[in-house]
Amino acid sequence: MPKGSIPILQVGSTLVVTIQTELRDTIADALQEDLLERIGKTRAGALIIDITGLEVVDTYVARIIATTGQMAKLMGTETVLVGMRREVAATIVRIGFRLTGVETALNLDEGLELAKELVRRRRRRKRD
Amino acid sequence: MLVLGHPEAAKLFSDHLTVERVKRAQRDYFLGLFAGKCDTAYAEDRLRIGLAHERVGVPPKWYLGAYTRYMRAILDRLATWLTDPTEMRLAYQSIEKLVSFDMALAMDTYIEAHLQALTRHQAAIRELSTPVIRIQDRVLLLPLIGTVDTQRAEQLMEAVLLKVVEAQAKVIIIDIAGVPVIDTKVAEHLLKTTEAVRLLGARTILSGISPMIAKTVIQLGLDISAMHTRSQLSEGLELAFDLVAESRSRKKRKRRRKERRD
Repeated sequence: MPKGSIPILQVGSTLVVTIQTELRDTIADALQEDLLERIGKTRAGALIIDITGLEVVDTYVARIIATTGQMAKLMGTETVLVGMRREVAATIVRIGFRLTGVETALNLDEGLELAKELVRRRRRRKRD
Repeated sequence: MLVLGHPEAAKLFSDHLTVERVKRAQRDYFLGLFAGKCDTAYAEDRLRIGLAHERVGVPPKWYLGAYTRYMRAILDRLATWLTDPTEMRLAYQSIEKLVSFDMALAMDTYIEAHLQALTRHQAAIRELSTPVIRIQDRVLLLPLIGTVDTQRAEQLMEAVLLKVVEAQAKVIIIDIAGVPVIDTKVAEHLLKTTEAVRLLGARTILSGISPMIAKTVIQLGLDISAMHTRSQLSEGLELAFDLVAESRSRKKRKRRRKERRD
């Protein structure tokens, strides 16, 4: 799949990306680049990565998600990971991978709520 | 009749009709045994007999005991019919072979039935060892009682994740007041569960931390700071309600803003 093949949506100041196909390494890399570029362009307050459709998340993809979150944070954007399946959560924990740098929410709806809250908190901190 | 002298046996053969029915069944059984057809239908029929015995509560020892009596009777009868010792030996060996096959099948069904019962009980125990209770719309409680070993901890994570997703829970409280000791392994499992729950988008609160457990955790040098911890379940509940209210007020704020706009 070429670069830019996973659509990134914008809802207010939040970017939303829904991953539905199994992420092969090259797509994952391309997605990370796309996301960072969009964050730079839009100055989005938050990024939501929806992985409801993913049945398997390997270490590579998990690392891409974590590092994307960390990179986004450096650029001033909070990342919320939503819709992780319980089997995926169990596997990630079992292999001992620490998925840091992202917040989590049960579903997209709550993810949007949390994203707004995080943006608000960040602004407040800046003001203080 | 000799059998009815045993009180347990007398219970099974409570009335005349039952005795008659069983006698008929025994007659059919022996006729079948000597029909000389050892096919699948025969084996299945024998397995059914074992199951029937298991169901009405005839223990294997009775079955084997009864067979010993039958064999003795058969031997006596053979002795009167066949005068040639070689012929008699061959006849008896044939019968013994048939009977052994039947016994093997019957024992198989007994063992199978017991194994099934055991599996059922284990499933029941598993279920009981991780009782997840819904306290409020989006708050779950898992009271842990007794020792937590690796297998149980593993199962605990599965159960917790399943219930969190099912209930779309915001918070799960794990109360360990009933856990006598906590060691490195258990703490590690609790931390893993906490992390997995976080990945789903919910939070874990660990309550019921006794002074004893607090002491052990620190002395073992375990870092459980990733978990919200409280000493009493009541405090854990308060914290859980606070966390849920927090996200609810977020939603309320949103609704109010929307109303103002409309």
